[in-house]
Order: sequence, then structure tokens, then C-alpha cells
Amino acid sequence: MTVPSPAGGGADLDGLILAIARDADRQAFAALFRHFAPRLKSYLARTGLPANAAEELAQETMLAVWRKASYFDPARAGAATWIFTIARNLRIDLLRRERHRSTLDADAESEPVDETSGETLLMTAEREARVRAALSALSEEQAAIVRLSFFQEKPHSAIAQELGIPLGTAKSRVRLALARLRVLLEDLK
Amino acid sequence: MNPRAHPSDETLARFAVGTLPAGPRLVVAAHLEGCACCRRTVRAFEAVGGALVEAEAGLPLAPDAFARTMDRIAREGAGMVHRPAPARPAPGGRPTGLPPGLVLPAALAGCAIGPLRPVAPGVRIGRVRVPGDPKANVMLLDIGAGRGIPDHTHAGLEFTQVLHGAYHDHRGRYAAGDLVEVDGEVDHAPVVDADGPCVCLVAMEGALRFRGLLGVLLRPFV
Repeated sequence: MTVPSPAGGGADLDGLILAIARDADRQAFAALFRHFAPRLKSYLARTGLPANAAEELAQETMLAVWRKASYFDPARAGAATWIFTIARNLRIDLLRRERHRSTLDADAESEPVDETSGETLLMTAEREARVRAALSALSEEQAAIVRLSFFQEKPHSAIAQELGIPLGTAKSRVRLALARLRVLLEDLK
Repeated sequence: MNPRAHPSDETLARFAVGTLPAGPRLVVAAHLEGCACCRRTVRAFEAVGGALVEAEAGLPLAPDAFARTMDRIAREGAGMVHRPAPARPAPGGRPTGLPPGLVLPAALAGCAIGPLRPVAPGVRIGRVRVPGDPKANVMLLDIGAGRGIPDHTHAGLEFTQVLHGAYHDHRGRYAAGDLVEVDGEVDHAPVVDADGPCVCLVAMEGALRFRGLLGVLLRPFV
């Protein structure tokens, strides 16, 4: 799988978020919106959200990016990863509200994983470059399986349907593809 | 002490992309608090998520999407968040009768934990209510020294984070910090070490199936 690096490179996208945090820079936000909003919408649609909900949540995510820009720490995660985790959390909150409309959502702003302080981290740029390398190093078939299953609520049935294979086979293929990816990512640890 | 039993890769990936249901997510979050190794794996899978989003072809948004977002920014003021997020509330009441040395995981903050009720000799269970998902099957299990949980199988995955003490079954021994992930095919009968009680946080994706009387007793809990 070829994972193209963003036009201008990840560091520039990081810079856009930093400019928003520093100067409430609307031009930087416009550029970031152009780059990420369509990608977020197609990612959210891939998770099974209907098109209008994916559209809403993509906008919601970009709004949160504006608001939370001061939390962005390029030493922890690159722009794409940080924005992905915001969209992920908003999606969890949305599904939670749909399941339980009457409950007031007290911790919508909190992250599922607490910030871990004092942990030695690889330089983010290097880590993310290696993640891209790991994805490219997968075989054509395994890359397709990761791409098709990674964001799915029911990865096994999605794969079974997409590739026309039995559920049991889909299960073991997802497991194998993930194990291979894990081995390729092992250097990151 | 480093945990020896960990969630599967698939579970950590589902945690990282947010597709793990609320109950198991809570138990995995409790494990991550004490496992730097799994935290790094989650971080790596999040970066995979970021790279896959970056690689998306993209779907066009409504023509007015950007204008609408800017309107909201203008309407709600700059609205930028500069202060640190407020600390989570303290765990919602600690059930009485837990071992004094036990520290409840921070992941339980905001969850209401019901009183521990005896369901079998030496076995007490408290229902954990997960905010936003009242149907999540999560419970705190307090099992006396040398006691066992009767033979059972699962309809889906079962996630057990050992919070205190240790237990063993036919596959091995598990101590505080370990997360044991068991799927539906496993039929097991865990027994707690003889030298002290064992407290576990347990979540199930599917219903738990006990053989015999305990199944009836546990019905209100699972």
C-alpha cells in the first residue's frame, strides 16, 4: 500500500496547527480544513456512519481542532494522528449519545487514554515515518485487509463480505495481517 | 512489576480506533494505567489510524461546510480552550469490604459501583455502571482466598483485569496488573491463590454462561 505523504509534508501540517494555537490564524485553519475535512469525512464514512453524519462529524472535528489547538504537541503525535484521535473520540461520544440520548454526557471532552507523562518517546516524525513504512511493507493483500478492517466495528464480517470469503477465514486473515503489522511496528517500541 | 498477560493486538487496535465497546474499553483502560508496553502499542496503532486517514482519498464536503464552521467559531467567540481539562471526579464511592491495599484504577472514575453482593461461597460481585452505556456488562469480582468461580464459557470475549491478588486456571497464573482475554471457545474454572483474596474488573462482550445454579444467581448481574 502506498501511503502518500501530505503535500508539503507532515511538518507543515503540524505548523498550521501551531499557528492556530499561537495566533488564532484563520488562514492556517482554512488550509488545514481543506486538507483534513474531506479525509475525515471519508474515514468517518468508512466506520459506518451515514454520509450526513460523517459530514457533520468532520466539521465538528475541525471545530475541535480549532478549539484544542493549544493542546497539540508535535512531540507526542503528528497532525494526522492527533486529528484522527479527536475524530475518534467525537465518534465514540456520538454513538454513546445515540445509544443513550437522555444521559448528559459529562466527560465528552476527556480522552480515553490519559496523558502519560515522563515517558520517553521516539521523535514523532520518526515514529510516524516508520508507521508509514510498516504499512507500505505489508503485502498487497494484507494492506487491503488492514485498510478495509482497521476502522470497522465488525471487521471480520466486513472483510468476509468484501472479499467473498467465509467468516472464519476472514477472522484468521485479519489476525495474521495485524500480527504482521505489529511485527513491522515492533521497532517503534 | 510489569504485567505478563496483555490484551490481544486486535483488542489494542480496536481500543486505538475507538471500536471496542464501552465495557471492554474501560477494562483495557485500567490495564493501560499499569502497562507502558501496551500504551506504546496503542500509540503505534493510533499513528496507523492517522496514516490511514492521511491516505484516504477524501469525500467532498458540502459547499458551505467551511463557512458554517467559521460561523460557529465566530458565534461562540474564539472559544479556544487554554486551560487544562478538569481532573476526573473521584471514583463514585468505593464499595465496602474491598482489601485495604487495593487502589481502584482511575479508569473507574465516573462509574457507579454497586455494593458487593455474595453470589456463591466466597464470591462477591458488584455491578459497575459505565457512563453512557447502561447495558455494558462490567463487574467487580471479589473472590476469597482459595475459592473458585464455577466452570463457565462465554458467548463472546471476556476481559479480566486483575486488580489485587492472583488466580490460576488450566492455562496459567495471573496476578495484579495482568489482563486476561478469553474468547468463547475457552471453558475455564479460575481458582484464587490460597494466600489471599483476588479482586478483578471484568467486562464481557457477550453473555456469560455458567453451568448450574450460579447462572441463575448471576442473572441480575450479567
